[in-house]
Amino acid sequence: MISLRGVSLVYPNGVRALENINLEITKGDFVFLVGDSGTGKSSLLRLLYREVGCSAGEIVVDGIRVDRLRRKRVPSLRRHLGVVFQDFKLLADKTVWENVAFAMQVTGAHTRDVMRQVPRVLDLVGLSHKSRMYPGELSGGEQQRTAIARALVNNPKILLCDEPTGNLDPANTTEITALLQRINLKGTTVVVATHNQAVVDRMRRRVVRLEDGRITTDEERGYYYLGLGQSQVLSG
Amino acid sequence: MDWGKVKFFLGEVLRNFSRNTGMQLTAIGTVAITIVLLGLFLFVRGALADLGARLLDEIQVSAYLRTDSTAQQVAAIEHFLARDPRVASAQFVSKKQALADLRERTKGTIDTALLTENPLPDKFRIKTRLPDDVPAVAASVRRLSGVDNVVYGQKTVQRLLQLGAVLRRIGIGVIAVFFAVAGIIIANTIRLTVFARRREIAIMQLVGATNTYIRLPFICEGLLAGVIGALLAVALLAGARAALWPRLLEALPWAQLTLMPVDPRVLAGELVAVGAAIGVVASWISVGRHLRT
Repeated sequence: MISLRGVSLVYPNGVRALENINLEITKGDFVFLVGDSGTGKSSLLRLLYREVGCSAGEIVVDGIRVDRLRRKRVPSLRRHLGVVFQDFKLLADKTVWENVAFAMQVTGAHTRDVMRQVPRVLDLVGLSHKSRMYPGELSGGEQQRTAIARALVNNPKILLCDEPTGNLDPANTTEITALLQRINLKGTTVVVATHNQAVVDRMRRRVVRLEDGRITTDEERGYYYLGLGQSQVLSG
Repeated sequence: MDWGKVKFFLGEVLRNFSRNTGMQLTAIGTVAITIVLLGLFLFVRGALADLGARLLDEIQVSAYLRTDSTAQQVAAIEHFLARDPRVASAQFVSKKQALADLRERTKGTIDTALLTENPLPDKFRIKTRLPDDVPAVAASVRRLSGVDNVVYGQKTVQRLLQLGAVLRRIGIGVIAVFFAVAGIIIANTIRLTVFARRREIAIMQLVGATNTYIRLPFICEGLLAGVIGALLAVALLAGARAALWPRLLEALPWAQLTLMPVDPRVLAGELVAVGAAIGVVASWISVGRHLRT
């Protein structure tokens, strides 16, 4: 589903964000990208949805050669992906329903499909009863659920999340984590960049650790800290 | 037809348009001023061209024949003029007729009865199809045998032709400047809208909207500003014409101005089209710059 081979990323200002990244993510995987701020987690996600182009290497996402993707083809790649951010990126002057429908409308979906699909994803994220409210009237968790609904409304096979719980309190964090897990169980490949230790340790899923732009470890059922559970870190 | 789609799209355009009203009004106002100036300019140019054309129209070539010219030569000249495609009409005026014309024209001022013989030569009175052809036709007629002299008010014609060319050049320059000013202001307005909507644009790009789709509402917005500005200008011009034109005709009767040198509907159509074009081009460039970065 996602494959990176020998991928490097150097920003125009000379910063070496990623070096020789090799990573395979299969269909239906749930992967955490962990590491301190500035280690390249976000950069790696940005490469996948082609916000930036890689400097070297080969990137394949859902069968598309992203490293060779022409500018004009970027929109078609993005329709295969859902992306969620720490700051939700919702439109304040549109309701929950409109925010979610927006992603379909601007990609030319038929109104009939919008009317069918939007209630379905709102139901999935549990916001059907708040569809007429504006983002300003919602809690942080509800806003992020709206953003997730928007990311899912075009039925992507892959969901990319950049610090999805970064702005949320523990209760909302738990709620969003559970939602992501539910989405993964329905078959969507989920990649989450985070430095929230509690989320990673509770889920016990695949953990890819980045340090200084390189992948240092890749564990099938990992913890946030290498080889250690939360309790061991706390007691140690 | 998916009416939901249309409704969504128009909603987006109107939402944009009403978002920064102040700047939109500035853009519309500038377009209106530009188009008023452009319209005035086209109008004045039309009036001058009309006046010039009529003055030039009255200019004719007089080819005076030698007193010793033979009937054969006269026939040859007549034949030449009849075949020249630039010539609209050529009329032979005998010396007898010329004298009669002179008598008629100078009746009461000069006593032509004092003349013991007719001093006037035979001549051809020639009109060309285009005023621009006058000098050339005159030159070729002068070369024919039996022709003594050719007169066509050289100075007047050349000056009018030069004036026309200069006016055209100035006109193109002025119009270009107007275009640039209006274009820059619309582009700036659209840039502000683009800036105000950068979050929306970012989300559209994120979910995979094409650049064409993202551009479209802004293009429509520019179009709207251009057209509204132009319509405003046309209304102003029409009002001004209705109020001022009769007085101008009264004040300048010698200018022989036609009531309307340019068809007002054609001019209005052209001006609105120009406004629309400025709006579309300016917004296209403005959004394009944002999307590329």
